[in-house]
Order: sequence, then C-alpha cells, then structure tokens
Amino acid sequence: MASGVLTPTRSEVLSLLRSLLRTAGDFSDYNIREYAKRRTIDGFRQNRHLSDPSTISAAFSEAKSQLEIAKRQAIVYNLYAPKAKSVMEIKQ
Amino acid sequence: MASALRAAMLRHIRVPVQTLTLTGCNSQSRILCGSLRSMSSHGDDHLDKEEVIDRVLSVVKDFPKSILPRSVTPDVHFQKDLGLDSLDNVEIVMALEEEFKLEIPDKEADKIDSCNLAIEYIYHHPMSS
Repeated sequence: MASGVLTPTRSEVLSLLRSLLRTAGDFSDYNIREYAKRRTIDGFRQNRHLSDPSTISAAFSEAKSQLEIAKRQAIVYNLYAPKAKSVMEIKQ
Repeated sequence: MASALRAAMLRHIRVPVQTLTLTGCNSQSRILCGSLRSMSSHGDDHLDKEEVIDRVLSVVKDFPKSILPRSVTPDVHFQKDLGLDSLDNVEIVMALEEEFKLEIPDKEADKIDSCNLAIEYIYHHPMSS
C-alpha cells in the first residue's frame, strides 16, 4: 500500500517542465523542436488535475525519462544537422 | 612618450573590434560582433525601458492563451488578471527568454508572475538584447 516514492512538489514539477522546454529548444531541426515544445505543454496540461500521489509520481518519472531521451537525441541530431534551414525559420 | 604609449595601447584595444567586423559572415562571428559592438559603445549600451516594455507586452499579447490582448498593460498580473495558470507562467517566461536571448535561473523565473516584474528583471539584466 505504501508508495516508496515521494510525491513531487509543485516547484519540482515546474522545474521539470522548464528543463524539458529548454532541452526542446536545443534541437536544430525546426519540426522536432516545435513538436517537443508542443508535446511537453500538452502532456503537462493533460495531467494537470491529477490528485492521486502514485499517478502523479508515475507521470513525473515518465516525464523525467522523456527528458533523458530528449537530451540524448538533441546531441545525436545535432551531429548530423542539415545545412538548409526550414522555410518557417526565415525571418520576415 | 606617455601619449605614444597611450596611443599604442588604444590601438591594441581597438583592433579586435575592427578585425571581427571585417572577417566573414558566419552567424557566430556576427553574434560576437554584435555583443562586442554593444560593449564598446559609449552611450546607452543597454536596452531602453520603452523598448523592453513594448517587447514584453508583445510577447504576452502573442501568447496563444491570452484571452484579452487589448487589456494587456505593463501592470498586468498573469494569473490574477489574465486568468493563466502556473504552466502558462512557465511558458511565458520561456518565451521572454527567447525574445531577449536570456537564460533566467529557476529561482528567479518562479518569482516572475506579472508584467511589471518581467520588465524590471529584463531591464536590469546586463545580458538582455
């Protein structure tokens, strides 16, 4: 019955959100960058009203593992970044 | 002799700025040029308060969840006046970081929850651009 994991506090959740958004901004590919930003916001907003501590902890650890994946992938993608920028990035 | 020494020193200090503006145009050197140019200007090397206010307000107005863009004034509180929540707060602060090319640490970012605080923080930050 006892969940061995502590429920994350509000500030921990917000700082995880911030780390995810910052890592999302590191991608050089426009599409992946925008998707990562959109997906983190949507994911956090979807789970906004959770009240059960174990589901909150589960969602938090899932977000943490996604952060690890994103950090790794940002490095890997940037190794082979294409030279041409997406048309959406041309400043008006 | 002192004036010759001074002239030599000034020439030595001025040279890095000139050679960088002459060299090629890849983005890195352009950014370096920009920051060096701003550091070497004698006058106002900081953003105008007016400019900071305008840019902050336009970022908040362009935020997709801003319900009443017309009511966005410099005193607006994000959660009380615009009806946003803490997630939107983090989003707005990230958008401001992008606009002004800053990196705001978590502790400071948590405190920014109104336009006033944002404008004050950005105006007093030495690295805003």
